[in-house]
Amino acid sequence: MDVCLDTKALTRTFSVPADRTKKATRIRAVNKVDLTIRAGEVVALLGPNGAGKSTLLDMVLGLITPSSGEVRVFGRPPRESIGEGKVSALLQSGGLLRDLTVSETVELIASTYHHRPPIDHALERAGLVALAHRKVGKLSGGEQQRLRFALALLPQPDLLILDEPTAGMDVNARHSFWEQMHHEAHQGRTIVFATHYLQEAETFAQRTVMMMAGQVVLDGSTDWVRAQAGGHRVGAEITPDRAEAALNQLRQRPDVLAATGEPAQDTVRLAVHTTDSDAVARLLLTQLQATRLEIERGSLDQAFAHLTAGAPA
Amino acid sequence: MNLVNPTYYRLELRRLRRDYVTLFFTIALPAFFFLIFGASPEYGDEPVRNGNVAMWVLINMTAYGAVTATAGLGGAVALERMQGWSRQIGLTPLTDRQYVSVKATVSATMAAIVILVIYALGFATGAEAPLREWLLSGAILLAGSLVFALYGLNIGLAFRSEAAVSAAGGSLVILSFLGNIFIPLGGWQLTVARFTPLYGYAALARRPLTGGASFDQSTGEVLAASSIWADVANMAGWFVVLATVSVWLVARSRSRQA
Repeated sequence: MDVCLDTKALTRTFSVPADRTKKATRIRAVNKVDLTIRAGEVVALLGPNGAGKSTLLDMVLGLITPSSGEVRVFGRPPRESIGEGKVSALLQSGGLLRDLTVSETVELIASTYHHRPPIDHALERAGLVALAHRKVGKLSGGEQQRLRFALALLPQPDLLILDEPTAGMDVNARHSFWEQMHHEAHQGRTIVFATHYLQEAETFAQRTVMMMAGQVVLDGSTDWVRAQAGGHRVGAEITPDRAEAALNQLRQRPDVLAATGEPAQDTVRLAVHTTDSDAVARLLLTQLQATRLEIERGSLDQAFAHLTAGAPA
Repeated sequence: MNLVNPTYYRLELRRLRRDYVTLFFTIALPAFFFLIFGASPEYGDEPVRNGNVAMWVLINMTAYGAVTATAGLGGAVALERMQGWSRQIGLTPLTDRQYVSVKATVSATMAAIVILVIYALGFATGAEAPLREWLLSGAILLAGSLVFALYGLNIGLAFRSEAAVSAAGGSLVILSFLGNIFIPLGGWQLTVARFTPLYGYAALARRPLTGGASFDQSTGEVLAASSIWADVANMAGWFVVLATVSVWLVARSRSRQA
């Protein structure tokens, strides 16, 4: 498959202005990131705030220049690929002129492309026909986001980059947004989206790239990333007199990442975080005489907490 | 592609028209100043070379109007940058050069409107000069006003807030006094004035009428003509300063984390 996006040791530092307590320092927002994304992939760029996701995407889009390293989009510098309309993006916030109407905004952005994409079609696709003559400043947050989405789709890009696209949307808007993205992905567009909504990565991306402190810490299929970092959570109840011994035994196992006991009425609620839920379940039911067994697949939320705590993955 | 995107230019003009309050006061304030200080007083009919004092005041007030217009648009560019519009534009094939060209053309259009309206008012209310002087001074006012779009841009980039509007408006009034525009200066005040940003611009615009001479309002004496090169040097020097500061401020805003 063709390579859409390729970065090599991509790094960007920023100066943090001096304040009363310390001198000006430089921080590495993105630190030697190697990333290759191929045509047709749907990739989640996952990480907490300040992980460097937006800075990485800004470099991919040519909005800021790298401090060192290299970024290529369709084998060329980002500005060239943007100039041809092969890549476009939906940015996190701002970016619109409040005193223009919706259709004027679309018309303006469309006029910058060589092939002059049709405006009506873009308005229709984003469900903005009824709002075409409304001023941007009078749109709700969700409506503004739909307008940005329409602008991003104008050039019919091969690669679509979304920086926290559903921030500020309510549940319904979020749902219909991802339905539309599914539609775009089915048409063969490559999609890279930054998010800290872990559920969005789980439901929409085949591949997840997890970033922390400017570096890629995990990169693979979303299922694999979850298995690596998340494991499973096994819950069970046990009588209080057996709890202490059971916890000790569980904690000695190499496949148990963490085990805790929460006293409840007449019983202790065990919670075991493990990479091998079958083995732990068998042990709990056969030897430890635990009851009310529950197994949950670990969410990426847990993966975050896990990696952030510096525990072995 | 065209250096000036016609669709973008047309929509920018529409934005100007929508902001009619700003448009109105940008024209009304210097027009009002002219009527009070140029058209009404008796000294307005006094001759100045080929024209009269009313024309002299007219050029000065129009200079002030044209500069507030372009500085205002420059400040609006800074505001757009801060609100992320430049990022949206950065995602399109539009280059920085094309963006600056659209903005410069819009500023020139706005300045031309201000100059035409105030000159028409002046023509109707007693400002007198041969046609050549009208055209030449108007052309100089238009061309020079673009330099001060950079002044507005710098103030906007430096203040990074809506306070930039007051800062730009207020400082232009002070610079107009210092630039020999509102009151004809003499003595040490004039010596200082020669180094301020608006002095060269207004002096060059008056030159077709005055030939470079000025007079001191406090003594009423006519001052000998100054060298045209001193005025050109003032204008060129301030252009270099403003452009350098702009480049530095834009680079600073790019190296910061948004």
